[in-house]
Amino acid sequence: MKRPRIGVFKFTSCDGCQLSVLNLEEELLDLVGLFEIAFFREATDKPLRGHLDIALVEGSISTEWQRSHVVEVRERTRYLVTIGACATSGGLQALRNWTSIEDYKKSVYPSPGMIETLPCSTPISDHVYVDYELWGCPVGSDELSETLASFLLDKKPGIPGYSLCMECKRKGTPCLLVSGSAPCLGPVTRAGCGVLCPSLERPCYGCFGPREGANIDGLLNVFRKKGLSPHECSLLLDKMNTYSYRKARSREGRL
Amino acid sequence: MKRLFRIDYLPRVEGEVGITAEIQDGEVTVRAAVFEAPRFFESFLKGRHYSDVADFTARICGICPVAYQMSAVHAVERIFGIEVEEPVRQLRRLLYCGEWIESHSLHIYLLQGPDFYGAENAWSKREYLPIAKKGLSFKKLGNRILTIIGGRPVHPVSVKVGGFSKLPEKKVLRSVLPDLQKAYEESMGEIERAARLSFGENQMDVECVSLRDPGEYPMNYGNVASNKGIDTSMSGFLDVVREHQVGHSTALHSEMRKDGLWNPYLVGPMSRVNLNDEKLPAEIRARMKECGISLPITNIRMGIIARSIELSYAFHEATRIIRGYEAPSMSCADFKPRAGEAAWITEAPRGMLVHRYELDDSGYVKDCTLIPPTSQNLGQMEIDLRDFIRSHLDKPVDFLRKESEKIVRSYDPCISCSVHLVVREENKTERPPHGVR
Repeated sequence: MKRPRIGVFKFTSCDGCQLSVLNLEEELLDLVGLFEIAFFREATDKPLRGHLDIALVEGSISTEWQRSHVVEVRERTRYLVTIGACATSGGLQALRNWTSIEDYKKSVYPSPGMIETLPCSTPISDHVYVDYELWGCPVGSDELSETLASFLLDKKPGIPGYSLCMECKRKGTPCLLVSGSAPCLGPVTRAGCGVLCPSLERPCYGCFGPREGANIDGLLNVFRKKGLSPHECSLLLDKMNTYSYRKARSREGRL
Repeated sequence: MKRLFRIDYLPRVEGEVGITAEIQDGEVTVRAAVFEAPRFFESFLKGRHYSDVADFTARICGICPVAYQMSAVHAVERIFGIEVEEPVRQLRRLLYCGEWIESHSLHIYLLQGPDFYGAENAWSKREYLPIAKKGLSFKKLGNRILTIIGGRPVHPVSVKVGGFSKLPEKKVLRSVLPDLQKAYEESMGEIERAARLSFGENQMDVECVSLRDPGEYPMNYGNVASNKGIDTSMSGFLDVVREHQVGHSTALHSEMRKDGLWNPYLVGPMSRVNLNDEKLPAEIRARMKECGISLPITNIRMGIIARSIELSYAFHEATRIIRGYEAPSMSCADFKPRAGEAAWITEAPRGMLVHRYELDDSGYVKDCTLIPPTSQNLGQMEIDLRDFIRSHLDKPVDFLRKESEKIVRSYDPCISCSVHLVVREENKTERPPHGVR
């Protein structure tokens, strides 16, 4: 059987999700046996030619060039999979979306006129059709393996859409929201991290983005009762998945 | 006659960078065109709470997030006047060892390594495969340390101002010891392998800069020192360094002031080894001697030797820390936020990472400066490329292009890190058509 061709692409990001592909370590070499790595700039000199069966896309769209490049990647690809918070949700850099980009440029660069960037940082799905979205900052390696394995088995990858709380309960991790006063985003956040923060006695800070049907304002009301100001509440949501949390809130019709 | 060559997009480096070289009448101009899209970290950090700073800046780089967390928490702790307990200090050092192991083995085995074997990547050549496998097993061990302390290898979550959210269990830490011992022994052989690679002749007269600490090989503490006489405190260093915009280039470069002049300088493993070799364990120093490694190393292509030495050191140091670890009385120090300003520098795998914060009295960021290692090395890298091309003008362009790629890779640039100071090329039509062709 001909090995499926896979490509790894980078847009605006920290490279951490591509690194998660490399972090499959020994599995990486198995991967090389099962797939043809047709394009992966961080790991190989090979230029891209022809069509791809899977494109793993890291990073958000934040420049004009990227906007056309992602269309090109889409056209070459059978299944486009976004990996991580930037590609799936715009990333931390989407914080610029809620402010004036000109002010941002001025505060970082001596010659702001020379900076070429779009006013907003947006997820890949705002630009092209995405087949599967993998969340996380960085992307979860289990979800990554699951997706690649599913492709070989010709089945749909099992990516959870339920909340982190479900995972927490299953693991028997004490609830930080109930037992303490920690503002944990678990109830509105997707499972997938394996209860990383609550296991380390730290409230969830939303790496995996809003779960399906999240009642965000309901949770924020709880935080308000615990003494957080509205400003503090919004800072909690304005992190790596700011774009998606705000979008989910506006779907609830409360923003 | 005018000749021009361009590498649109350099593979096997972290992030997006290209090279343009222009050769006219024996004069060579080189531009390292960084075209990674800017992300404005210094802008959106303003107005954020001090407790966000470590998590946010970690997202600058997926390969060295711990470095960002370390520089960030130490700077904030300095403002708040927090002294962490010794075991916390040691655990942070252990976490850093994990990151040095992960980052160095990535670079030695997957990014730069294939260059010495004429391979396009780590898996395409049969003879290189066992070497790559060894590298991946080292990398995995580094990631295991990161995961035990921080929950995951990329953007670990337990580091916070004052200490950790939760401490690792002693017995879990100790479970790594056998693998660490094995890796340490293997890595000593790898120092020899690195030393035996063939490097072109290329002596650089560059100022090597790194932290230097009286008690230990530098990671989180020390003064800033150089081989040409600099010895200053961390905040003093900020007075002699500037981020300077270069007219012909797309990126800002850091320069250091000396005798009234601004000069490029070099940070990273080569500088650290050159300036701190007496802090390395006797066993490693003996090994270096056996392998014929003489210091200072002045050829950046031999950076892989310095990196291999530090890889061994990180295994050795991680073992030492775990053996001696006793839990602190509390995972996180008690403190109250207060207004102030402070700078802190730690040694990221690729060199000094400078953070400076100004906080208001509730602990919100008023202003900040971040200077990653890569931007400090860009100036020297361009000079090095220029000198190389100048002395090989009779060679075909293909040769120059391949060798230039290798030179850039030997600097281990981390372009994602340098994003905040990336400026696009002024002439739009010259923009490298990176990506799919």
